[in-house]
Amino acid sequence: MAVVRRSAATLTVAEKTAFINALRLFKRTSANGRNYNWYIDQHISFFARTSDNISHAHRSPSFFPWHRKYLQLLEFDLQTVSGDPNLFIPYWDWTGSASPFTADFLGSITNGSVSSGNFSPSWGWSLYRSSISTSYLQRRLGQNASRPTAATVSTVQGYSVYDQSPWDSTVSNSYRNRNEIELHNRVHNFVGGHMGTREAPNDPVFWLHHCNIDRLWWLWQGTRGIDTYQPRTGTTSGVVDNTETMRPFAGGSTPLSVSDIGPLAYSYA
Amino acid sequence: MTKTNRRDVLRYGAAGAVTAATAAVAAPGLAGAGPRGGLGEAAPADPRDFDETYKGKKIKGKHNRQGHDELHINNRKLAVTVVSTLFIPEDGSQPHVGVGYISALNHYDPVEIDQDKNKDGLRRLARKVVDILGDLELSDEAAQEHRH
Repeated sequence: MAVVRRSAATLTVAEKTAFINALRLFKRTSANGRNYNWYIDQHISFFARTSDNISHAHRSPSFFPWHRKYLQLLEFDLQTVSGDPNLFIPYWDWTGSASPFTADFLGSITNGSVSSGNFSPSWGWSLYRSSISTSYLQRRLGQNASRPTAATVSTVQGYSVYDQSPWDSTVSNSYRNRNEIELHNRVHNFVGGHMGTREAPNDPVFWLHHCNIDRLWWLWQGTRGIDTYQPRTGTTSGVVDNTETMRPFAGGSTPLSVSDIGPLAYSYA
Repeated sequence: MTKTNRRDVLRYGAAGAVTAATAAVAAPGLAGAGPRGGLGEAAPADPRDFDETYKGKKIKGKHNRQGHDELHINNRKLAVTVVSTLFIPEDGSQPHVGVGYISALNHYDPVEIDQDKNKDGLRRLARKVVDILGDLELSDEAAQEHRH
């Protein structure tokens, strides 16, 4: 069923509750052969350069399509586990004033341990593979970085080259790398705590942040063309080409296969 | 005007180059092959190494010739990885490509390795991680190596 992903700022209380309850349920219940912690495992494994000598998820062209696939899979699993085919991942437009860190949504503690309320252990949330020795989700909003402004987003969206050699985090004239560093990394660092770590999906805001990153790529595609991924095909070692499968996803999960969100059964409003 | 110490230039220059060149792949041929690598002779301490206290936590950094620098916070290991990346300063100053440390805890926020002035990247990484930890400690997961 096709869903429309909306801004977290527009959610009703019932929609917020449905979303966080599905996450909590997925922590302790498998769906489609996966559970919540599977996602944390994949994030840690595919952040690194894997044995195929490819960076699948970060610091490479496949940053956008890898996370698009990752979010689509989670959305599907959350629909399965909750039995609600209308469930969707909301996006957090961090240039706006609405915060997802409220008592009725992702929890209101933003300066250390989330020790009570939503996403605390007593609420039913547990950490997995934390590099910080604690059982409490950590957040340190604004300690390390500020939020990108709408002006910065506009500048980044203006880069017309999707990506180019050497296809890593040193490329200057690259929409992918500019977005990854100036917008994506910065918001991870703005939230801080676990969001700044390798195991960042421990914080549910990870999904709302990446949903917004995916929306920005979708907006960019609307201007530059849907099938504009680089590198195109078969010739570049060490990176995922347009028609190469992204691990750990099913065969055929290529950047090309997720370039158009229409067949992926979601859209943005 | 301070006269540059040629030995330091060589030392830092070489260490920096090796660090960058072996970031992803260790060079086994170089292991133990220092200029004074005689039998039973301890490697001389690197002047950038430190063993001190910051905000109540013991931070200890060691620079290794092969580029696998080591960092411990309250005797717990933090695996560090050296990456080349574009740095885009928030203050609006000019973006530039440099070399930085990342770890499990600052995975999206590389600490640039200053190879010219203070040569203090590892110490600044240690302090940043202590700030992230607050009153908590590293877990065993933080010691897991990671390739980039």
